[in-house]
Amino acid sequence: MVPRASFARAARRTLRSQCSHTPNNRRTLASAKSAGYSYETGEVNGIKFASRDIPGPTTQLALVARAGTRFQLFPGFAEGLEKFAFKSTHKRSSLRITREAELLGAELFAYHSRENLVIGAKFLREDLPYFTELLGEVVSKTRFTRHELHEEVIRVIKLNQKSILANTDQMALNSAHSVAFHRGLGTALHPTSSVPITQYLHEQELATFSQAAYAKPNFAIVANGASHDELERWIGEFYSDSPATPPSDFPAIETKPSKYYGGEERIAHDGGNNMIIAFPGSGAYTGGHYKPEIAVLSSLLGGQSYIKWSPGFSLLARACKAQTQAHVSTRNLSYSDAGLLTISMEGKASHIREASQAVVEILKAISGGDIEKDDIQKAIAKAKFRTLEAGQNIGTGLELTGAGLVQSGKPSNLDGIAEAIEGVTEDAVKKAAKSLLEGKATVSTVGDLFVLPFAEEIGLHV
Amino acid sequence: MSAPSMTKFITKRPWLKRWMVPLANWYADAAGYRKLGLRADDLIPEESDTVMLALKRLPPKEAYDRVFRLRRAFQCSLSHQLLPKDQQTKPEDDYLYLTPYIKEIEAESRERGDLEAMIVNKRKQNKS
Repeated sequence: MVPRASFARAARRTLRSQCSHTPNNRRTLASAKSAGYSYETGEVNGIKFASRDIPGPTTQLALVARAGTRFQLFPGFAEGLEKFAFKSTHKRSSLRITREAELLGAELFAYHSRENLVIGAKFLREDLPYFTELLGEVVSKTRFTRHELHEEVIRVIKLNQKSILANTDQMALNSAHSVAFHRGLGTALHPTSSVPITQYLHEQELATFSQAAYAKPNFAIVANGASHDELERWIGEFYSDSPATPPSDFPAIETKPSKYYGGEERIAHDGGNNMIIAFPGSGAYTGGHYKPEIAVLSSLLGGQSYIKWSPGFSLLARACKAQTQAHVSTRNLSYSDAGLLTISMEGKASHIREASQAVVEILKAISGGDIEKDDIQKAIAKAKFRTLEAGQNIGTGLELTGAGLVQSGKPSNLDGIAEAIEGVTEDAVKKAAKSLLEGKATVSTVGDLFVLPFAEEIGLHV
Repeated sequence: MSAPSMTKFITKRPWLKRWMVPLANWYADAAGYRKLGLRADDLIPEESDTVMLALKRLPPKEAYDRVFRLRRAFQCSLSHQLLPKDQQTKPEDDYLYLTPYIKEIEAESRERGDLEAMIVNKRKQNKS
């Protein structure tokens, strides 16, 4: 919360150099003061990094690059880059990386979201230098061999495509994004099997794209449970090979601002029913499109229960009590310069049909002012808790912080978010609901289209 | 795949290399595969997992050309004929197109074997 004053750091360093007979990488538990809630940030050799010295024996280190599906140049590149993480490098083979990580008892992970590509590791605190070096190697020395692309990467991507074909939830979410944002954020998170990727995925182009994605201004390193000074030292040592600027003969990573379009898409599917009603939502706090009232509205609509044996206070949970076979949940998916407020319904088609009508009725009721003050108070508390919890949670916190660092140079300020949410008034929520209903909605329906309603039928404007 | 080879021994000694290179060139030419349009790497027996995998890793063009050369050579062999002079393999075309892949795969399996046979010692302390 309180950034550690620089003199304190200097003092610690002097103290350490005085006691130089003790190895300086010996595990020390952080003091209560340094175990802050927010991240300490810094920059070394043009690489932004953040750390949080949580006292404890393990560390989680991640490298967050702005290379998610939104920023990929060709279909499947984000996925390809993700799958190439920890493959053979110019220094060692992928087998050696795996075995060494196993010997140190560590876990390696790589995943991508719509905006970010995250590669990282969880390990014992004293192994920080090894894994900082490993991530640096993955970033600048991966070989991108042809045989690994064909024997391992594309094979896994194809299996992944098959699994997504059966997943109506993912399908509806991808469809909602593509209807809402068209290109950029609208790109499917994982390519489905009908997306032609093999004609784009070539090892050389992937290698060049990796130089753009892993150029110094395009990624940040975030650590949880590592001391700031030590992280700074090792990053300074191991990341000298990363290019300072993206390659000039390759199209730059696109940063066109997102635009909301809206509309409707219906996909017939035999394996389940899913309907997503979405509206323009709130962007990330670090960007300029943050709307706290949307967060409150999202928990006010709710639908999912967080307390056992109770449907919860949220309006949708109460309204859809009779539709026991429809699962309703509301989320605000926030991105750097846009957001999507999604109300997702899955389950039995006839119940989804009834629930979707309830959703629109409730939105109309909120915008008309027919809402109890008590509920707004509960919604504010819930929204505040969920945002703060997401920030404190190590996994999501790493990506949030890294993305904030890359996109705006500062990690997301959780206290600021909490304050903004607390300041939301009843009026603001009503106004937000009203503007959602007046604008164009996004409706994506996957499943039994004979029963599932059109947007027009439930009274939405698309 | 790894027949005993004296290449290293010879290339280390320039005087010996100077003697052996013309001899080797004469031998390769006299072996006769070039007259059927083949390359030395076409003669590697492919009935092993290593070579099969290496063949899979060849770039598409190389793989296509290899099949073409083999079929042409079979045809020549069946009809008891040699290729016309201009279609025979020139010495500069007779390079190792498959061996690097085989070596890479062998190195991979050697590394795997080494890692399997490794004895792990717990470190006392990190290097500082």
